[in-house]
Amino acid sequence: MIALPGLNLGAQAPEPLNAPTTSATRTQELSANTEYRFEVSFARSLTIKLVTGTAEYFGTELAPATTYTFSGAKGAVFTWHGCRLEIGGEAESEYVAEETQMMSAANAHFALEALRERAHQMRDAGPRVLVVGPENAGKTSLVKTLAAYAVKSGQQPTVVNLDPRQGMLSVPGSFTAAAFSSILDIEEGWGSSPISGPSPTPVKMPLVYHYGLRDAEEGTVFRPLVTRMALAVTSRLEDDPASKSAGFVIDTPGAVAQGRAGVYENIEHIISEFSVTTILVLGSERLYSDLSRKYSNSADAIAVIRLDKSGGCVDRSDTYMKALRHAQIRAYFFGNSEAGLAPHSQSAGFEELSIFRVKEECAGSDMQFNDGGDAYGGAAEDTIYERVTPSSEIVNKLLAITTAAPTEGHAAIRDASVRGYLYVAEVDEGKKRVKLLAPQPGRVPSTAVVCGRWPEDVASLVG
Amino acid sequence: MSSISDEVAADFKDALQDLKVNSRPEISNLTLIAKENTEHAQAISTVLENHIRTARPEWRLPSLYVLDSIVKNIGTPYTVYLGRGLYKTFMEAYSKVDQPTRKAMEGLLRTWKQPVPESMDSRPVFPLEMTSDIENALNKMRSVQAQMQSQRQVHALPARPVIAAAWRNTPTPPQNGAQFGVPVDPRARQVPGQQFEQYPQPTPTPDQFGQLMGSVDLNELKEEVGKLIATTQQAFALNYSDPSLQQKLNALLQLKRMLDTQTLPPQQLEAVRNQIRALAPPPAPTPVQMPAFVAPPIVQTPQQPPTLTFQPPAAAAPMNLAQMLANFQSPPAVTNPSPAPAPAAPNLADLIARMTTPQSSAPNPAPFYPPSFPGPSASTPVPAPAPAATPVVAPPNNLAQLLSSFNKPSAAPPAAPTPPPFNPALPPHIPNLSQLLAHAQPMGPAPPPPNNASWLLNALSGLPNAGTPSIATPIGSESMTRQSSAPVNVQNDVELTTASMKQPRLHLISRLYDAKPNICTTCGRRFDATPQGREKKARHMDWHFKMKDPDAAKRGVHRSWYFTEKEWIEYREVDETAPDDTANGPSGAAGRVKKQAKDRYVLVPQDVTLAHAPCPICQEKFEPQWSKDANDFVWMDAIKVGGKIYHATCWEEYSKGAGIATPSTPDSVLGKRTAETSTPASGKKLRAY
Repeated sequence: MIALPGLNLGAQAPEPLNAPTTSATRTQELSANTEYRFEVSFARSLTIKLVTGTAEYFGTELAPATTYTFSGAKGAVFTWHGCRLEIGGEAESEYVAEETQMMSAANAHFALEALRERAHQMRDAGPRVLVVGPENAGKTSLVKTLAAYAVKSGQQPTVVNLDPRQGMLSVPGSFTAAAFSSILDIEEGWGSSPISGPSPTPVKMPLVYHYGLRDAEEGTVFRPLVTRMALAVTSRLEDDPASKSAGFVIDTPGAVAQGRAGVYENIEHIISEFSVTTILVLGSERLYSDLSRKYSNSADAIAVIRLDKSGGCVDRSDTYMKALRHAQIRAYFFGNSEAGLAPHSQSAGFEELSIFRVKEECAGSDMQFNDGGDAYGGAAEDTIYERVTPSSEIVNKLLAITTAAPTEGHAAIRDASVRGYLYVAEVDEGKKRVKLLAPQPGRVPSTAVVCGRWPEDVASLVG
Repeated sequence: MSSISDEVAADFKDALQDLKVNSRPEISNLTLIAKENTEHAQAISTVLENHIRTARPEWRLPSLYVLDSIVKNIGTPYTVYLGRGLYKTFMEAYSKVDQPTRKAMEGLLRTWKQPVPESMDSRPVFPLEMTSDIENALNKMRSVQAQMQSQRQVHALPARPVIAAAWRNTPTPPQNGAQFGVPVDPRARQVPGQQFEQYPQPTPTPDQFGQLMGSVDLNELKEEVGKLIATTQQAFALNYSDPSLQQKLNALLQLKRMLDTQTLPPQQLEAVRNQIRALAPPPAPTPVQMPAFVAPPIVQTPQQPPTLTFQPPAAAAPMNLAQMLANFQSPPAVTNPSPAPAPAAPNLADLIARMTTPQSSAPNPAPFYPPSFPGPSASTPVPAPAPAATPVVAPPNNLAQLLSSFNKPSAAPPAAPTPPPFNPALPPHIPNLSQLLAHAQPMGPAPPPPNNASWLLNALSGLPNAGTPSIATPIGSESMTRQSSAPVNVQNDVELTTASMKQPRLHLISRLYDAKPNICTTCGRRFDATPQGREKKARHMDWHFKMKDPDAAKRGVHRSWYFTEKEWIEYREVDETAPDDTANGPSGAAGRVKKQAKDRYVLVPQDVTLAHAPCPICQEKFEPQWSKDANDFVWMDAIKVGGKIYHATCWEEYSKGAGIATPSTPDSVLGKRTAETSTPASGKKLRAY
């Protein structure tokens, strides 16, 4: 990635490769209220260009005559008015669906929009929406669509991602929140967090916490982090009128929707911490009925709404999800193909790093939650993490650079927001040095870094 | 009240009772009495109001003239006392009197909105809010009447002759209008009832229709739905690419499911059935379209306009609706009831175009006569307002009136057709077609979005959903009461309920598209078609331009650190379309510095060593670049610090870490294009996107 003037090979190289596929384009006519669904593998790319009409990709409108390239995506281009698309490249599968759930999504948006308008007039807080549902029910797509429509309507919605399996504006395993004032990036899903150079779509400013576990049910970190996130988001909304009236939408992992015997502790926790006003349940009848029984008639009247799962929701295999996560991590360091980023390789001595890792027992069970708020209390404070010396165990893992000092309590480290991520490329136990990939040049931070058990190792990110 | 008051009031009452014709001297006399007894104004007002309310209809107008004379010649305190009950007084009288009297009353009402002639006082006779209340009520009556007529046409639609016969053959029921002549204040969510005393021949009222219609046989209805589904499926099989058909089919299936699984109240059933009728491909030519183009309502006569013959059966259903809609605005042919049938518009677009064509003709105050339901005589074209001609005399501008009555109640056309009979007690809050039309109205003069067929379908298939009592079309008599309860905010009524999420509301989609027609071709962001919108777009395009930095990749762009919690909370999003001087929180500077850093430049140094020296931080060479602003070759993103030239971004990164303040470079502020630096006003001048 050395940038030499005139040697702009990095940018040019992919094009000849793509050329044969993109040169043969085909035309796809879509009649009104239909969508073109496609799956494209990570190895290939699919280009879509809107020729006539209007079309949108999860709520974000396609610009006319602009070619969008998708790779490793399962998506759908929907049209309200009918359109003609020019499609190039190879898709794993593609078809036109006439039955879509876009009307529901649009209705949900307009219902929320009415609340936002009211909130704006009253200078009150806007709708606080929680989207729940099983895996692969289209939660993130719905959240994206709602956010995109809200942005399109001139709102500034905040989106909170509590799903560690896929990142939003950051790597998987992180929890993020961001206010969206500019359009979502169609190719990248959400957009990009700030980079040091220009970005083709306006960058989004995420607040990032490190979760580092696979499932919400796994450990003692989830709920305290939800609390922390809720605190930050609420504080932001309190001070930011534009965000306040627009409210927020929370995306959740499918795992929280499983519950135990009709009790959804994590969902209930999210609802109470974020003071959720509207719950959108995707797909699951049972979850809907359980939640509406609990919340519809309660004094604070939370609207529980069931939306049908879109026929376009496909089960994403573990392999695909893994590839998706790798792509997200790669994009964090290297950017997407369009805007290449130059991460910085450096090495650090063992003593320079204060690495913490969630303890096995904390990660493995949630015993502590069963006996009340112990996990929040002092007793559990310093039992969350263990200090690790770099070893081959942490190779190929991500380290979250927190804002907390290594000397601070474990709760403080857990609740600290993340400045960025490091990737452990190599550990030389003999020389006691670690080779790291950092997003930008500079000294290795002296703050506490947390090594996650999730996402899974990403081999060969470097070299 | 003192005894003197009572006395004066009694005298006044006596005098009033003698007033039976519009006699100027008598009215002047009464006015004089009122003027001389202003201290008893309250008593006199009460007497007058009571008299207007209770007198025989034909004597009411003179008493109203007394009221008029009093308020205009005396003014306060009579305006105050009479103003309180004005609504009730007026509306009760209005509901009882005949058509010419109504016109006269409307004339009065108009004058009340204006100042007293030749008066120094510029205020209207009665405060505008009083008169506008009445105006609103009158408008509602008018629109209800318009609806009545369209319903009647729907009713007359012999979609299923078997069932239709059940009521079509019913002899005209005996008049029982007096039973529901109880006037009710519409602000209490109901509409004044009315007696048709002036009509010698008793005629059925919607109430009776309602009763008849109320006995909807669920099984028959299901059967009808089933048949309709079958036909639609056939049509769909023939033409499977038609989304509107598919949508219709979906809606029908949904409806069927609902009918199978749920018990609906009779009104809803009735509404559903009428809906189905309207949708059903007609076995006989559709009479629905007749009134729009031909003078009399020829119900089921073979002399149909030829238009029907070229309607493919598949498209029949949406067509019918369109025609219904077309009826709403009654093309000019109607005002001149001639039997010459205007050729029916063959396609929807035409109809829509008609609908949206502004009607220049003045509203025709055609008297409304409840139809003697379709007897054979109905097939005779009668130009005179004979009872048989009812559906024909749909007042022109009906649609416009409907819409205006919702959007701008006080500005409705003054001349009013006779309001139809009302059915006082029916459930409110069921949206109807006029409401839907009104919903569409805010979009501009052409309500239907591009996708006409589906919009229409949408308008008609806001199917009754479980949980929400919502039926989309004006059907049966209940639609009339809905008028009065129609929400004023017709823009966005989506409720947060599961059922509501499934209703198609394509008319709202235009808020995402047509509302902001000005699209950025680079990223698809939309802007308003206002000067502000254009200005924003200009800045937005400038932003795009700046972001297309070909050298960005060479400089080694990297991911920035995320915000800390505190920074994030204090951060305010920066809209690239906002003027550049948007203040942001303390940390917002971080986001902006980035922008500024790469705008910094130095002129390419003359010194050879310096010109070949790389950036001391990243060791990369600088790229000379022509700068239009500097009119010279420059190094962009460069900064001169202590005799060395650094990349501005590198320096910034370094200095931030080291805590050194970035020196301000006086010559470094450019690279910005016009709209960016200029005030909004000048930006507008320069670019017109």
